Formats: sequence, C-alpha cells, structure tokens
Amino acid sequence: MSASLAPECNEVKERYDTCFLKWYSEKYLRGTAMSDECEPLFKEYKACLGKALKERGIDTMLDEARADMKENDVEHMKPS
Amino acid sequence: MRFFSSQHEFEYSWDEVTTCNWRKYCPWNDKSTHVIAVDTISRSLDPKTHILRTERLITCKQAAPALMKKFLGSEDVSHVFEVSYVDLRAKKVTMFSQNLTWSNLISVQEKVVYRPSRIIGCTTFEQSAKIIALCGGWQKVKNTIEEYTVERFRQNAVKGREGFERVLAISREAFAEQREQSRRAQSA
Repeated sequence: MSASLAPECNEVKERYDTCFLKWYSEKYLRGTAMSDECEPLFKEYKACLGKALKERGIDTMLDEARADMKENDVEHMKPS
Repeated sequence: MRFFSSQHEFEYSWDEVTTCNWRKYCPWNDKSTHVIAVDTISRSLDPKTHILRTERLITCKQAAPALMKKFLGSEDVSHVFEVSYVDLRAKKVTMFSQNLTWSNLISVQEKVVYRPSRIIGCTTFEQSAKIIALCGGWQKVKNTIEEYTVERFRQNAVKGREGFERVLAISREAFAEQREQSRRAQSA
C-alpha cells in the first residue's frame, strides 16, 4: 500500500486500505456489496488525516478544487 | 495551452486492473517514485446506481530544474486532487485530477478512463490532459512553463504505465499463490 502524507496516520490507513481492497475485489466487483463495510475504519483514518490536512493548510485547497470539479458529478453519478 | 493524450492496452481483466488501480503507487511500483503518498479523502457508494465515488489526495516530490524554480519557488512537494467514479454496470472507471499546488500559476487537468477492451481479457486505458499556464506576463514565460509541464507529464505517464504493469504482474502472482495455498489447505 502507499503511505499517508501524515506518518502518524500510516497504521490506520494501512488497515483501512487492506479492508477496502478486500471489499472491492470480493464484494463490490461481484455486485454483492450493499454498503461500504470498511466505513468504521475509514472514520478513524479520516479523523487522523483531517487534522494533518488542516495543519498543512491543504483542507482549503481541497475545498476549492472540489468546487471546481463538482460538475463531473452530474455526468458521472447518473445511472448508466 | 497544451494537450497530452495516450492510450494503452493492459493484458489484464477490467476487474484486475481496477482493483490494482487502488494500489498503483504501492512499493511494487518502482518507477513512479515521485509519488510519495496517496490518501483517501472521501468515499461513497450510491445504493441505487452502485457507482463508487472516491476522492484522493496524491502527494508528489519531484525537484524542479533551476529555470522552473524561478517561477515555482523552491518547494518540491506538490499535491494533486483526484475524483474517481467506478460504474460497475457500465464497466467503466473514470478519474479526474487537478493540481492543488501552484494552482495560481498553472492548471493541469487530467482525465483517465479504464474500460474492457475489445480483446477479451484486456483493458483499455485512455488518458488525456490539458495544461494551461495562468500567470500573467510574457507569452514566452507561459510557453516555457507549459512546455516544461507537458514534458514532465509525458515522462511521468510513461513511468506510471511501466510501474503499473509491474504492480499488475506481481498482484496476479500473489493472488495465484494465495489460491494455491487455500487449495492445499482445503485438500490437506
């Protein structure tokens, strides 16, 4: 797995990534995923990462980029 | 403004390619060493469409040549924001990315699509990018920045493809080994 930009989050990130990859290949791709089962781990990882992003001032850059790319959601979230 | 595009056929199934895509920059990729971190920012599964939407932050470390340092400063760590959509029913992964760092000087927008190829068991990769220098001033300066950026983008794209081929090969081996182990465990 890849590292986190915040070394203090590496351990929880590794656990989350492993969970997600297993879920993606064994459930999501087979069409049997009802929900994202790794969400509890993701919350833990997100709490750690959120702090690091704020400290580095990346959170505001992300908000701007997210707003710029919002229009892609319209096309790519609609049912095919 | 500069454009870049490339296409490639991976000799792996869409399932394999899109699974490995999540760890394209893991240590098995010994080419894209400029990518030092990949963090997931948000992830959601639409229960109706089964479309999986993911936001990631990609952190790179790549020294710029002296000429570019004049424009970009001495900072060599940069961030890219990526939003991806996995549409399982359409068998299509679409990824958009945009630079966060130096965004007042230059805009680099990339789109990547992974689809099953017409060749059975293969996956088509299509990549396109638009690079625009935003800074005011001489056209010559803008041209220099755009030329440099598109060239670096091209080099990183080649490294990315080679590195990803390696990740795919090692993953397939690891998976086969795992299956063999569980088969043995069952028959024992």
